[in-house]
Amino acid sequence: MSPPASRRRRSRLLSWPLLFVAILVVHSLAVYLFTRGFLLTRTELDLHSSRDDRPPQGDVSTGCASWPPPAVDRLVIVVLDALRFDFVAPSTFFQEKHPWMDKLQVLQKLAANEKTSARIFKALADPPTTSLQRLKALTTGGLPTFIDVGNSFGAPAIVEDNIMHQLVKNGKRVVMMGDDTWIQLYPEHFNKSFPYPSFNVKDLDTVDNGVIEHLLPSLHKNDWDVLIAHFLGVDHAGHIFGVDSTPMIQKLEQYNQILEGVIDTLRSLSKPGGTHENTLLLVMGDHGQTLNGDHGGGTAEEVETSLFAWSPKTPPDAVLSVLDDSSCNVDLHGEEVCISTMQQLDFAATISALLGIPFPFGSIGHVNPELYALSTGTWDNQRMGTNACTSQNDLESWMRRYAEVLCVNCWQVKRYIDQYSATSVIGFPSEDLQHIMNLYSRAQANWSASLRTTCSSDTGSQEKSEGEGSVLPQQIDAYTDFLQTFAKLARSAWTEFDLWSMSMGLLLMILTVIIQSCTLVKLNTICQPSDQKRAGSSIIPKLSFAFALVVIRAASFLSNSYILAEGRVANFLLATSCITSVWHSMVKGKFRIENLVFLLLNIFARFGIEIGMSKQLPAPAITKDHSVSAFCKIFGVNSCNILLEIFPIISLAIVAYIILKWLSHAIHQRFLKYFVLCGTMVSYVSIAFHWASETTLFLHSGTVQEFGRSLAPRFVYAIGGLSLAVSALYRIFSPADHLKMNIRITILSAVMLCSWSPTILILLGRQGPFVALICMTGAWCIIKLQQKHQRESELCVADPVSVTQWSLLAVCLFYLTGHWCTFDGLRYGAAFIGFDHFHIIRQGLLLSIDTFGVSHILPILSLPFIGMVWYNTTSKDNKLNGVILNNITQVVNTATLAIKKKPIFWKRFDYTNSTNDNPLSGRAY
Amino acid sequence: MRAEATQISAFTTAAAHALCFAGLAVAHSLAGRGILVSDPALALRLLVVCEAPVVIAVFSYLRRDPRSCSFFKAAARGLIGLPVGAFLNAFGAIVLGAPVGIKYWTVTIYWSLLMSLFTFVPAACVFGTSKIDWQNVLSHSIYFTPTDIENYMISAPCHGAVLGAWLGAWPMPLDWERPWQEWPICVTYGAVAGHLVGMVVSWVLIAVHKRSGRAKAD
Repeated sequence: MSPPASRRRRSRLLSWPLLFVAILVVHSLAVYLFTRGFLLTRTELDLHSSRDDRPPQGDVSTGCASWPPPAVDRLVIVVLDALRFDFVAPSTFFQEKHPWMDKLQVLQKLAANEKTSARIFKALADPPTTSLQRLKALTTGGLPTFIDVGNSFGAPAIVEDNIMHQLVKNGKRVVMMGDDTWIQLYPEHFNKSFPYPSFNVKDLDTVDNGVIEHLLPSLHKNDWDVLIAHFLGVDHAGHIFGVDSTPMIQKLEQYNQILEGVIDTLRSLSKPGGTHENTLLLVMGDHGQTLNGDHGGGTAEEVETSLFAWSPKTPPDAVLSVLDDSSCNVDLHGEEVCISTMQQLDFAATISALLGIPFPFGSIGHVNPELYALSTGTWDNQRMGTNACTSQNDLESWMRRYAEVLCVNCWQVKRYIDQYSATSVIGFPSEDLQHIMNLYSRAQANWSASLRTTCSSDTGSQEKSEGEGSVLPQQIDAYTDFLQTFAKLARSAWTEFDLWSMSMGLLLMILTVIIQSCTLVKLNTICQPSDQKRAGSSIIPKLSFAFALVVIRAASFLSNSYILAEGRVANFLLATSCITSVWHSMVKGKFRIENLVFLLLNIFARFGIEIGMSKQLPAPAITKDHSVSAFCKIFGVNSCNILLEIFPIISLAIVAYIILKWLSHAIHQRFLKYFVLCGTMVSYVSIAFHWASETTLFLHSGTVQEFGRSLAPRFVYAIGGLSLAVSALYRIFSPADHLKMNIRITILSAVMLCSWSPTILILLGRQGPFVALICMTGAWCIIKLQQKHQRESELCVADPVSVTQWSLLAVCLFYLTGHWCTFDGLRYGAAFIGFDHFHIIRQGLLLSIDTFGVSHILPILSLPFIGMVWYNTTSKDNKLNGVILNNITQVVNTATLAIKKKPIFWKRFDYTNSTNDNPLSGRAY
Repeated sequence: MRAEATQISAFTTAAAHALCFAGLAVAHSLAGRGILVSDPALALRLLVVCEAPVVIAVFSYLRRDPRSCSFFKAAARGLIGLPVGAFLNAFGAIVLGAPVGIKYWTVTIYWSLLMSLFTFVPAACVFGTSKIDWQNVLSHSIYFTPTDIENYMISAPCHGAVLGAWLGAWPMPLDWERPWQEWPICVTYGAVAGHLVGMVVSWVLIAVHKRSGRAKAD
């Protein structure tokens, strides 16, 4: 070979790394685009409305200078979880009559007989339709989205302004009974509460019986203003038996009886001077359910729930003209029943207006006219109102009052928009905002004008009523228009995906993956010496096998059930690749011990994953790390405890021994070697000390325990950070050329591994050493097997199958360590190892190290070894190939990771969207 | 190449496969429709009981070296091969994630016996302990390069059964909540289907092989 030719080849090879960097950049861009379209974010504002807030006087008229006056004194809210719309509405509204319809007869009868004071609403919820999300939306009046950026880290308690908060601040007393999700959301808002655990879906009656026990007695008491009774039976019956089942019908019939009792009690106490003289009863669902009893998504069945409102006192007949725009139909008894439609979004604002409390700061709903009109309170005591012009007509005065309420409502929403745009991470598009602001200013200007007309025109009642009659509805329309336009915008920003950028990201990703695989094949042919054509062809089947595995895995993310079983799918594919390699070596006639070890490792990983997954179903507090808790059943409790304390420490010692041994072998620089060795040793001793200080086996003095509990972990983190810094310094300042490239890479990744691993181990807790052992055994098997293959076929690039195996093993480890891909799958406990107090950056960092440590950080850092080890023995052009190799492995990894990453977001979506109940609320689904 | 006398004909292969298929069919008709779903243990046991004698008899008759090895010796090899193959298959299934537990023990045992009949026993009966032949059976190269008819006869249905079982496991995690998604029902369906497809493939391969052989002879 002539020197110029070889130099040309070398320079061509040198440009490859740049290409890979470019691919990496495009990858990141693709992921960014995809996530931008996909991860809907909303910033939670922790501002609260207060009673003294009022619109600036110059802005609007006197009519809406303060929060609306109360219209009802007491409110009874009966929440029936997962109440489908057709449970409440008469069956004549539907094409077919099903057995579960017409069971809540008492509501239908009221709606038919007392048209002016009772009404059935079809309430439309916004997805995700899980109880927790819905309750949050109902009380805050906002639209919860998939990621609420805020301070509610771990604890579901609501920090945003909400009705409960306003009720408490304004001296209203709230009583709650039923589903304990409320207690999680509002830990200290209730005067009295009777929570019942909601996690056991098989239990149809505990919660309901608890509520029944307290509901009627409470109605007779006078020590509350708002009563919330949350029944869970229908939801649970749906989850287990489905909608079309006897238990469901029994539940509905039971509810019918209960509601009859409630209504009779309220009616008997509603005489003038009675305790329920001015009470409003709301019977509502938080979301619907499908016929299978699932909910969470956005289908009509899940989104459509119902709301029934009834006030014992009848408002004037004029109410009918407010209620007119609704669909009416004849029910089973030949009576006419009318049904209106409302958004659940409007619930918070309407309730606030009725109770006369400040609207929650983040509420973006508008006061629903029909629900507002149903309350008698909005019709009388009108003449004592603050408005300057008095009206004669019932309807007119009501409309005036309603317009005033809407005026405050608009001002409050406008305030929220201003505040949100100023502070949020991602605001609204500016042209839409401009449009909305125009609507607002037009509506307000209109208001001032209409006030002027109505007040100045006291020339004749005829003229005046004409003026009022047209001006007020116009005004109401203007406000409604503003509010609805904004709600639409907010919905599109918070609940609709940006399909364009999602598909662009996806397209870009697919393109780069194709380019990358072409590059890999090309590279292999280039760096292969030309006489070895045989080896060049042998990469194709391997590449296609690896590709098939990755494609199967990626395709499995298209189905929700495969996502739920992701750990098992990864394990299945890993086992498939293992068995293929066994088969391969059997054909060659050489069976190696690594094959068997790898198979056994697979079995171990498989059981670990199964145990880890079983933890997803909420069970009463699992305190022990799961991979060891299985042993507890075999041994007795006492010996089990001792074993549990001792085993991790022994295996930690083994891990430390292996790592030290390997380190002294891998690193050649004297300074670096001693530094890393010492650091690792001290770290592992600290970890052991930390665990020892937490055991109950020995008695400790206070200081020792204090040191072990908080200082030792911090010490470990510090050493990790320090050695990271040292390795970076080494990388920058070390004499560059006297070492071969591959050795340099080995050293660097060894140092990186050693600086990360103690931190990850301590965060993983007792299971850490076991996982580390599994990880190391897996790496050993993969490397050994690959060395064998490599010797057989002189491949230039790293074996793609090994890299895929490594990535699959990483996924298995993720599930093995008891993580899973939802937000509640985060192991919050890990964030508080060594620290007692919460700090968002510090704890977030620890949590992400714990989450990604064993599945991303360690595998990626150790990836070079998979490509490197064989390499020590062969070839001449060391430096160049080392660089290429490293790049290739990294790129293959980014490919698999990137393909993996997309689905992770899918996953989040699918989880929030279609798991039946949010596990945070403690349900079993 | 072996002597012409030991070379079995394509017709024999087809007959052998037809007999095996008949064994499955008899078991199926005895069990009745849907029994695999309602009582998998019973159905699998019937399948194994009907299929085992057929497979062992047929493939012992077709043993590779009839002169040095009697029919009964071949049958004995098959009988020994049955549990060994079952163990290997069960091990593979557990590695791939088959459920273990008291509830599943019996079905797993029956299923792995059946898989052994599809994969391990024929080769054990025909080849005995000849290492080269076993490697040939395992190898995928038979699909590309011409080889003995026995290899086609044994390899393709065996590979088919394994692949079919592997593919049959795919619907298991889905949330359709059908009774046949239980272990090992859909895997058994997959394995049987793959086995039958493998038989057809082996006939095709033998036909292609024969034609090319004849062309070469001309």
